[in-house]
Amino acid sequence: MTSFTDLTTLTFEENDGTATIHLLAKHTSMQMIKELSKLFDYLEDQSSSTVLVIQGTNGHFNHGLDFSDFHPNQPMDIHGFHKWEKICTRLERLPLVTIAILEGQVIGGGLQMALCCDTRIASDTVCMSLPEVKLGFLPGMAVFRLAKYIGLGRAKQWILRGSSIKASQGLQWGVLDSVSKSPLSELEDTIASYQPIQPVTIQLARRLLNESFHDAFEDAIGHFLAAQQRSISHTQFLKTIEEHTK
Amino acid sequence: MDFSRSVYQVGYDVIMRQTMPKILSVGTANPPTKVMQKDFPDLFEVRNPVVRKIFQASHIDSRYLYLPPKDEHGVPMESQADLLQKHRMGAMDMGSRAIQQCLDNLGVTAADVDMLCCISSTGFMLPGLTAMFIKHLGFRVNCHRMDLVGMGCNAGLNGLNPVSAWAAANPGKLAMMVCCEVNSALYVYDDTIGTGVVNSLFGDGCAAILVRSDLQDDAHFGPSILHFESHLIPDTWRAMSYHWSEAHGKFSFNLDRDVPYVLGANAQIPVSNLLRPFGLKPRHIDHWIIHSGGKKVIDAIKYTVGITAHDVRHTTNTLREFGNLGSGAFLFSYQHLLNEGSAHIGDYGVMMTMGPGSTIETCLLRW
Repeated sequence: MTSFTDLTTLTFEENDGTATIHLLAKHTSMQMIKELSKLFDYLEDQSSSTVLVIQGTNGHFNHGLDFSDFHPNQPMDIHGFHKWEKICTRLERLPLVTIAILEGQVIGGGLQMALCCDTRIASDTVCMSLPEVKLGFLPGMAVFRLAKYIGLGRAKQWILRGSSIKASQGLQWGVLDSVSKSPLSELEDTIASYQPIQPVTIQLARRLLNESFHDAFEDAIGHFLAAQQRSISHTQFLKTIEEHTK
Repeated sequence: MDFSRSVYQVGYDVIMRQTMPKILSVGTANPPTKVMQKDFPDLFEVRNPVVRKIFQASHIDSRYLYLPPKDEHGVPMESQADLLQKHRMGAMDMGSRAIQQCLDNLGVTAADVDMLCCISSTGFMLPGLTAMFIKHLGFRVNCHRMDLVGMGCNAGLNGLNPVSAWAAANPGKLAMMVCCEVNSALYVYDDTIGTGVVNSLFGDGCAAILVRSDLQDDAHFGPSILHFESHLIPDTWRAMSYHWSEAHGKFSFNLDRDVPYVLGANAQIPVSNLLRPFGLKPRHIDHWIIHSGGKKVIDAIKYTVGITAHDVRHTTNTLREFGNLGSGAFLFSYQHLLNEGSAHIGDYGVMMTMGPGSTIETCLLRW
C-alpha cells in the first residue's frame, strides 16, 4: 500500500481489505479536509480495500469545527464550509462500505461525518451533539441528512434546540445501528455482515437510497433502470446466474 | 496522485491555455414558433393513446418547430420535397440568426471568418450549407469550407475536432462551426409508436461557435480545447438510423429502445480515456456539457459515469425547453453554462455527444 507519512490530523492503515482512519485531531479543520481528500483519492483510484472504518482516538470521535480557523477581524469565508461539505459528500459516495465507530463526544462536523457513513456502531457512553444553531451557525448538511434518518420532528428537536442525544436514544431513533460496551468488538461482525462486497452495486444502491426522499417516482424509476443496467453488466451478476444454473 | 500545483505546472498551464484553440463565442437560434409539448397531440391529430401518452412525459415542456401545413382533416401534409425545402429554408433562417449572434458576441463580422464548418443531418443539400451561408451572409469567398453531413446528434464534436485542429494549424485565424438541425424536416406522421417517439423528442435549433488559437490572445474568456476521444459501438449500428419508408415516400428516423442502455454501458470508456492522459478523474471535472439526447440517455450517463443531477443541469434544462436539438444541442447546454456564470479560470469541462453508429464523442476543455 501507499504510505502516507505527512498526515497530522489523522492516521491511515490498511489490513486485509479494510482501511482504517483514526481521527487524531479533536476538531475538523482545513488541514483535515486536505488529508481526507488525499486519502479519498487513494481509496477511489488505487486501493483494493472494500471497507473503510472511521474512528476517533482516546475515547472520543470528533468535536466538530475548529474555531481557530476563523478570525473575528477577517471576512467570513463560505468556501471553507463548501470544501467541508464536498469532503462529506465524497465520503458518502466512496466505492467502499463505510463504518463509523462512535465513542465519547461526537459533536457537529464529527456527527456529520458519521451520518455520511453506511453504518454507525457506538459505545454506550456516546453523546451526540449538534450545538451549532445556538452558536449562530448551521450544522452543515446535517440539516439535509438527519431528518432522513430520524424523521423531521425529531430532527427539528435535535437541531433547533442544539441538544445532545445519548446512545440509547440514538439507537431507538435509528441514527445508531448498534450500541454496546465496546463497539470495536462489534466491528468484525459488522464487516462480515456486508460480505461479499460488490463495490459498484453498493455504490448504486446507496445512491438510489439517498435520492429516494427527494426524487419523484417518475424520475426514480428511470434512475433505477439506468443503475440496474450498470449493475447487471458487471461480472458479478453473470457469476450469480452461473452459480444459479449449475 | 498529488494535484497541488507547482509553479512550473502553473506556468505550463498558462502556455497551454494560450496556444490551444479556444472557444471564443457562441450563438443560438430557433424557429419563431414555440409548441408546448402538451398541445402537440391535438395540433397534429395524434389519435393513438399510447403515442399521446409519450407526449405526457415530464422531461420536455416545449420545443421550437417549423410547423407543417395540414390537409382538410388536420393531418400534416408534407412530401419529401417539401421537407427538403423546409430544411433549407429553416437552416437559412436559424443559421443567419445564430451566426449573427455568435459574431456579435465577439465583435467581429462574417468577413473576419477564415474557416466555416457546417454540420447538418436533417436534410441533404448540394451545394451545402457553407456555400449557402457564404452566398447570403457576407462571409468571404475565399473562406475555407467544410460540410459535415449525416453523422447525427454526435456530429458537433466530430466537427469540433477538425475545426480545432485547423485553428491550431492556423494561429490567429477565426474558425466558425455551425450546427444546424431542422428535425421537423424528419417527421413522419403515421400514429405509430416509432414515429411518435421521434416526433415527441426532436426540436429545431441552430448553434454557432467561433474558435481561434492565438498566442497573443489572453483577453478573451473561454475554454481551451485540450483533447478529444471517440468511442464507436459497431454492434449497434442500426440502433439509430435513417431508412427510406416506401409507404410514406420519405426518410424516417428509427430510434431503438435499447439506445440509452447501450450508451450507458459504454459511456465510461471514452470518458476515462479522455481524462487519463491528464491525470484526471470525473470528480475533477467542474462542468459537464452533455448532449440532451433524452431523459433515459441522460439517466444512463449519470449512473454510469457517476455524475449528479446538478452536473447535468445544463443538459436537462436544454431538453426541457427545446427537446433534442441534434448536433447543436450540446452548444445550447454550453451557452446555458456560460449564462449561469459558474465557469472560472482553471475549471475543467467535458463535452459529450452521443448518436448514430452508435457512438460517444468526448472533448476535454479547460478555462
